[in-house]
Amino acid sequence: MKRIVQIVFVIIHNSYIPAFFSGGIYQGVLKRYCTPILNCWGCPLAWYSCPMGALQHFIGLRLIPFYILGIFSTVGMTIGRMSCGWICPFGFLQDILYKIKSFKLKLPNWCSYLKYVMLIGVAVFVVYLTEEPWFCKLCPDGSLIAGIPLVLADRSGDLRALVGWHYYMKIAILIFILLGSIGIKRFFCRTFCPVGAIYSVFNRFSLLRIRVNKKRCIDCGSCQLVCPMDVPIHRSPNHIDCIRCLDCKKVCPTQAIKYEVR
Amino acid sequence: MKSAKSIIISIFIVGGGQVYEGRLWVGIAFAVIFYGSIFLMKNIWTGLNPAFWGIVGVWILFWLYNIYDAYKGATYDKPPCEKACPAGITPWIYINLIATDSKEEYPFFPFFKILERICPAPCEDKCTRRGIDKPVAIKYLKSAVKMSPPQCNHKKRDKRIGIIGAGPCGLAAGYFLVKKGYGVTIYEKEEMPGGVLRTFIPEFRLSSSVLDEEIEKILNCGIELKCGVRVGADISLDELLQKYDALFVATGAGKPIKLNILGEENCLNGLELLKEIKKGKEFHLGRVGVVGGGNTAIDVARSLIRQGNKVTIYYRRRIEDMPCEHEDREEAREEGIEIVPLCLPQRVEDGRVTFIKTAAPEGRKGRIEIMPDSEFEVELDRLVLACGQIPDSAFLRKYLKVNQNGSIKVKNGRTSHPKIFAGGDAVLGSKTLAHAVGQAKEVADLIDFSLRGIAPGIGRFFKKSYMPRVEVLPIKDLPRIKIPHRDVEERKNDFLEVELRASEEELRKEADRCLACPLRYRP
Ligand code: SF4
Ligand code: SF4
Ligand code: SF4
Repeated sequence: MKRIVQIVFVIIHNSYIPAFFSGGIYQGVLKRYCTPILNCWGCPLAWYSCPMGALQHFIGLRLIPFYILGIFSTVGMTIGRMSCGWICPFGFLQDILYKIKSFKLKLPNWCSYLKYVMLIGVAVFVVYLTEEPWFCKLCPDGSLIAGIPLVLADRSGDLRALVGWHYYMKIAILIFILLGSIGIKRFFCRTFCPVGAIYSVFNRFSLLRIRVNKKRCIDCGSCQLVCPMDVPIHRSPNHIDCIRCLDCKKVCPTQAIKYEVR
Repeated sequence: MKSAKSIIISIFIVGGGQVYEGRLWVGIAFAVIFYGSIFLMKNIWTGLNPAFWGIVGVWILFWLYNIYDAYKGATYDKPPCEKACPAGITPWIYINLIATDSKEEYPFFPFFKILERICPAPCEDKCTRRGIDKPVAIKYLKSAVKMSPPQCNHKKRDKRIGIIGAGPCGLAAGYFLVKKGYGVTIYEKEEMPGGVLRTFIPEFRLSSSVLDEEIEKILNCGIELKCGVRVGADISLDELLQKYDALFVATGAGKPIKLNILGEENCLNGLELLKEIKKGKEFHLGRVGVVGGGNTAIDVARSLIRQGNKVTIYYRRRIEDMPCEHEDREEAREEGIEIVPLCLPQRVEDGRVTFIKTAAPEGRKGRIEIMPDSEFEVELDRLVLACGQIPDSAFLRKYLKVNQNGSIKVKNGRTSHPKIFAGGDAVLGSKTLAHAVGQAKEVADLIDFSLRGIAPGIGRFFKKSYMPRVEVLPIKDLPRIKIPHRDVEERKNDFLEVELRASEEELRKEADRCLACPLRYRP
């Protein structure tokens, strides 16, 4: 179910087929709208714009991005971080990469807070100072779905000429993140994603919540085993990293996990 | 040897070793990302610049990860049963081997057949299946495991290690060290190896033939055993320290706890009693009271009832909080042993014992209050004290720091002497067999690392994980196996094993109940 939704949303987000023929990106009316998750607007196949890109755009212009903040808080207040789990294509990619049966690692808890550094430090503060979208310049999603295809498909050679140290750095980050998400559950989502950082604040207040019946829970930990974010939901429901994918609800042998709408 | 080859392949071809090991998709994914990125860089190359070294760094990281992965194999999140096992056994893997009728053998583990009989099974208390109905009979399923013979002569090192005490911890550590190629000599003060298993565990729980068989397997690996040697008296510790590169002290816990009550000298000691009974002595005491709630108390009571005595157990907390195995407790009650909870002995006189009532909170911890004016007298011919035991490491005081309760002081696995290591009940205080074997494994690694000069933290990182082909089977709606026991009337009168082995088919069915948590519950 979750997988189907994820695939459907990959298609919804990135399916501007004419890009294959023209080699350019979609610039129609839909690009004015933000999708609620991280999905680079520079991708040749993308229909919508990326909230992080737009946010930085406004901050770079030294404006308060009411529109973007509005989207974030509306989505965040209703479903918390659910969109990360169900509709984010980059999250989907990481889910698939973790399925590879390789050597795995665990991430220490404090890594979860690095994403706030990414959000406040890089995507807001640095952008405000330099007036350049610095997070976009590091974003692995951008290099995967926008940077690489654009340069590879570039016929005129203008873009290729622009490839420099900055582009190399993006590729290094991308490989690092891909490597990380083979070994660690949703490595990027948990440590670096600024969109996730914003939504994670709302997890505690959102209308959709997860409830764990402590009396029924037998502390078996299956929920943490199955959790794509490695959240010990039986100990801390509404953890900042819970992306509301509801996989844990499916596997709990005692049906202790329930979601409820306030 | 497969892993050595796959490491070499992986060094030259990223992902190749994984394919060689049979993990096709891992290999393909590694190769696609690694060679894909190289191809990409070739395609968009615009000249060298400093950021390129970043890419090279990530490539090297990737390459190292790939080699390490080829060595280590697939890892998984530990299921509750594995987390709970103090001995470090992977129950879900052997259960899966049974359930899938696999030809693969589970790697040898010392005292496996004995754990099957006397382990209190903390794994079953945590098993996920208990959320659905009842836990998988993890402990009992050990009898159906096909186990490989002990592997002990891969390599040889010229270092020698002396072990004091041929109890479970000493023997197990001996096995783990021989497996690593060290020469091992074990000193035992009794005439026979086996420690607590030999002297105290009664025959009806663990028959000597099983014990002999398990010990034989370990000793056959080339361990030298010197029985009847008391370290400190027959041979001094200094001499041993000179002779060996490292010493491992696993002297166990054999000193009974004193209660300090009036007339204690007229009481019998539970451990002594068990020892005598195992040697074949008969006790006809009449009405006996046993004080204590652990396995020793239950064992004493059940041994005495087999010799025709009338036995009552007195315990200071609630019946549910007795630290013994629940199954054993129920078996004991079936055999006609009465259990009186919430009382403490006060005075022992001829043919009469005075008890006082207590109030204890739920659980095994928490203070016990004595109820005032609640004394009651019981007519008993003899009182047996079996309130637990503590380590007796007096002969080590000169060399090591010893705690108040007699256990050896250990910090990060090391004692206060650089060449002496300690483990088992001598460190833990009286714990289970699984704890002893688990510690043996840990200390054996520690000795290995320290003799080779590797930091243990790093060494642990380089241990290969074991994972055979394991399958996820559909969840089956089967009831938990009923473990067959001999009839009460029959077993009450002899010392043969109470528990019987179930048929292979039943065990197969039981193994089918396992959910294989780490594989089923994966993102
Ligand atoms: S899966 Fe259910 S019963 Fe098990 S720990 Fe999680 S919430 Fe508790
Ligand atoms: S805690 Fe449950 S709902 Fe939240 S991310 Fe983990 S599996 Fe999904
Ligand atoms: S169901 Fe199987 S894998 Fe899960 S805890 Fe129980 S024995 Fe272990």
